Amino acid sequence: MKRLQDVKAKEARDLYYPTMCKVVGARQITDLEKWYELQMPAGQDLGHEPGQFVEVSAFGIGEAPISISSSPSKKGSFELCIRQVGTLTNVLKRYEQGDMIGIRGPFGKGYPIEKLLGKDILIIAGGIGLVPLRSLINYVLDNRKDFGRLIILYGAKSPAELLFKEEIAIWETRDDVELHITVDQPDESWTGNTGVITTLIPGLDLNLNTTIAAITGPPIMYKFVIMSLKSKQLNDDQIYVSLERRMKCGVGKCGHCQINGVYCCQDGPVFNYTDIKPLEEAL
Amino acid sequence: MKPQVAFFDFTSCEGCQLNKLNLENDLLDILKHVDIVEFREAMDDKADHYDIAFIEGSISSPSCVERIHDIRRRSDILVALGSCAVNGGINAMKNLHPIDEVRETVYGKDKYLFATLPAMAVSSVVKVDYEVRGCPMNQQDFLKLLIALVLGKQAPKYNSPVCVECKLKENECLYNRGMVCLGPVTRGGCDALCPSFGQFCTGCRGILSNPNLDGMLEIMTNHGISLDEAKKRMLLFNSNEVQL
Amino acid sequence: MECYSLLRADVPALIDHLGKFGEVVAPHRKGDVSYSFESVLDSSQVVLDYNRTLLPLKKLFLPPVEKLMDFSLKNMSFDPVELTTQPRVFFGVHSYEMQSILRLDHSMLSGNAESNYFKRRKNSRFVGISFEPDDFHFSESVGIAIEEMEGFDLFLNEIDDDFQLYVLSDNGRSLIQGFKQIRTVEAELSGKREFKKKIRYHYNRLPRIFQYAYKSKVWADVAEKCVGCGACTLTCPTCFCFDVTDEVSVTAEDGLRQRTWDSCMLSTFAEVAGGENFREKTINRTRHRLYRKFKYITDEEGLPWCVGCGRCTAFCPAGISLPDIVNELIQEDEKAQYHHTVRV
Ligand SMILES: Cc1cc2nc3c(=O)[nH]c(=O)nc-3n(C[C@H](O)[C@H](O)[C@H](O)COP(=O)(O)OP(=O)(O)OC[C@H]3O[C@@H](n4cnc5c(N)ncnc54)[C@H](O)[C@@H]3O)c2cc1C
Ligand code: SF4
Ligand code: SF4
Ligand code: SF4
Ligand code: SF4
Ligand code: FES
Repeated sequence: MKRLQDVKAKEARDLYYPTMCKVVGARQITDLEKWYELQMPAGQDLGHEPGQFVEVSAFGIGEAPISISSSPSKKGSFELCIRQVGTLTNVLKRYEQGDMIGIRGPFGKGYPIEKLLGKDILIIAGGIGLVPLRSLINYVLDNRKDFGRLIILYGAKSPAELLFKEEIAIWETRDDVELHITVDQPDESWTGNTGVITTLIPGLDLNLNTTIAAITGPPIMYKFVIMSLKSKQLNDDQIYVSLERRMKCGVGKCGHCQINGVYCCQDGPVFNYTDIKPLEEAL
Repeated sequence: MKPQVAFFDFTSCEGCQLNKLNLENDLLDILKHVDIVEFREAMDDKADHYDIAFIEGSISSPSCVERIHDIRRRSDILVALGSCAVNGGINAMKNLHPIDEVRETVYGKDKYLFATLPAMAVSSVVKVDYEVRGCPMNQQDFLKLLIALVLGKQAPKYNSPVCVECKLKENECLYNRGMVCLGPVTRGGCDALCPSFGQFCTGCRGILSNPNLDGMLEIMTNHGISLDEAKKRMLLFNSNEVQL
Repeated sequence: MECYSLLRADVPALIDHLGKFGEVVAPHRKGDVSYSFESVLDSSQVVLDYNRTLLPLKKLFLPPVEKLMDFSLKNMSFDPVELTTQPRVFFGVHSYEMQSILRLDHSMLSGNAESNYFKRRKNSRFVGISFEPDDFHFSESVGIAIEEMEGFDLFLNEIDDDFQLYVLSDNGRSLIQGFKQIRTVEAELSGKREFKKKIRYHYNRLPRIFQYAYKSKVWADVAEKCVGCGACTLTCPTCFCFDVTDEVSVTAEDGLRQRTWDSCMLSTFAEVAGGENFREKTINRTRHRLYRKFKYITDEEGLPWCVGCGRCTAFCPAGISLPDIVNELIQEDEKAQYHHTVRV
């Protein structure tokens, strides 16, 4: 147990003060989602790992946890992509280049890059789940020779909801990226796959021993995707999930993000499947 | 340009609740943000457009129905002020016997044109964007809503019980003093006004969105009142919201 | 052990003497039948025999509502809160309450150590007092004796209406320096006080009970009665969950960010934008509360995170009793084991 006398005065920190970051780029990329590029003061880097998040705040409105969408290999600025669903996210919709946004973090555990080196990376992103996974994708692309295959499965409700379309177009042209996209509700112009994301899995030809899967999507997606992966003979420890919970503090204090005894904001949001499989509240 | 706001009064027990606002202190601040273009008594409504219309009182006559439709047509945002407007409030209780009949009348769309109507929530006639709960309406709540609207953010929603604020203030619980209180199932946001003055909560801010009403009735009857009385207490402000 | 005798009549003088160190906080009457920790203005008003305070001592280290910063909307900037803390003596603290502070230390200072908590916690002294257990106390069942002195600087043990004063630390010794109304005596801890409420098993057997209790029927029985008011968690000395909100002044130009105690028993606690609720049903929440007390942290730290103060039970309007729930889980487990044995 941690005792008062074991804590040195300088270890105790103000955990709740944001750093004001400048918006240097902002663009509404779908009906609901806006992309932001932010700069820390004095050209600092955020210093994050793929999969980590920040607490974003606007004074008078509040705070919300948002994944870092750019790769740490990108220096000088970082990117977020925010879906407008509630109080803060709708106010942030009005934020444009030159505005200041409060940032705390980076927080939580991201993907353990050292365990991913040399592996085939299988990305499975449902909807806005692409936002945090984009950080990992771009990290792999920026360090392409350190990894094996890069397979990206991405599912969205409709073609209009696809995020990062320009980037996807580039991924499509690269022969070191295997990209499969599907939508639930196609429109007239859609020529690609239709159906839920799990329909993309059976057709995959995976190297069983070297594949690591990274899944992020809406809560209901995980069970089905993991079932499909298991039927492809992937082991539990080859699967990583990123979980979403209500969060307030981001630093393991406020209690909102607990999944049974685990703190999503500290022990996650990225978890190895073996670690959360026994938790009743996880999936 | 500042938002143009108007206030309208319908059927409420004490008339103008806004009189209770500490307007001397706050009016100047409020006026910095908005232009008040109409105040309740101005019956022959002049402006043809309001950014925000504040409605007090419940809807209880055919002419009220007509008038509220008219106001809605001319307003971008419509806010119900006080429990009479929000859910019919105590007015609803007075008219409602037997409750089933009334419920049908309230929600059956065709029955609006009766000569006398039961007291209805504004929202059962027109779309309500925001509400300020309480009887009387809570001043702080009203100001918070106004500020939220000015800042362009969603208004605060209250869905935690009165007990939360009551505990935070370290009040002695009325149940520990042998009284019966509706705090556990009533929407907070009033800073536990009544229990802080030794009065039990009568539920004036409405019932929580997902209440355990059977559990609440059991608590009340276990603390010495009859099931009938317990139900009556629960319905006092909430006969339009609660089914018992 | 360094021990003195102290007459009941001289306790106010001792409290006044403690005032030389700093602000003295002690139990006072509140309302008709309740007590609360308050600053001492008149030492004769301090209550020596009380069952429990409405809010735990926690309120003075992790306040129910705490400003985190002031901000300006015009400049999009904030001012940190400069917290200055004075030395404080907490007088008349029960052993379970002291143990709850030691647990709170772990919660607020392990991992990311929080400065506001740390500052408030430093420079505090604790003077314990023995108590007569009522119908709700059960701290003995979670391993905390009435005379447990860990964490205290001084401890008053009531004997024949007067007190024995134990000196437990150097800080304690300097607190009573120059105080004349005490006499050296032999230490003698009376063991006469009996707990009326008990958990049937020793607490080191509880993790096993909870390991198998997740799907128990007991949770549904409790959920039927629970109205989700949050009283049990808001008054619990080892609970520490909070919410963070921004308040804007009427000028809409500035405001403050604050944190407020929150409770996992409230239906909105784990709800996210869009309506998904990760602990939607009352049974999920009740279970979570008890697992937080007897399993999750306990597995890591080896101690129950409940100190047996009885507040959650005494202040529950539905009369839901935490030790009774635990006893029912034990009984259910015994039945299951019995059936198992018979079948084998
Ligand atoms: C680790 C993590 C990463 C996330 N990354 C992204 C992202 O990259 N892009 C994106 O658009 N969204 C992301 N979300 C979801 C995002 O946090 C919520 O949409 C957001 O909090 C809603 O805030 P609001 O004020 O608009 O909504 P309101 O409903 O008004 O929420 C009020 C408060 O509740 C909490 N809250 C509500 N919903 C959520 C939620 N889903 N998750 C956590 N806390 C919540 C927040 O503290 C929020 O401030 C992420 C969530 C988590 C947990
Ligand atoms: S007095 Fe009423 S509102 Fe306060 S805690 Fe008791 S039941 Fe809840
Ligand atoms: S305590 Fe209850 S009755 Fe009193 S103002 Fe609050 S909600 Fe209304
Ligand atoms: S105090 Fe009782 S009724 Fe209220 S939330 Fe806790 S267990 Fe439920
Ligand atoms: S769970 Fe109940 S008895 Fe245990 S410490 Fe908390 S309030 Fe006290
Ligand atoms: S978000 Fe506060 S503990 Fe995880």
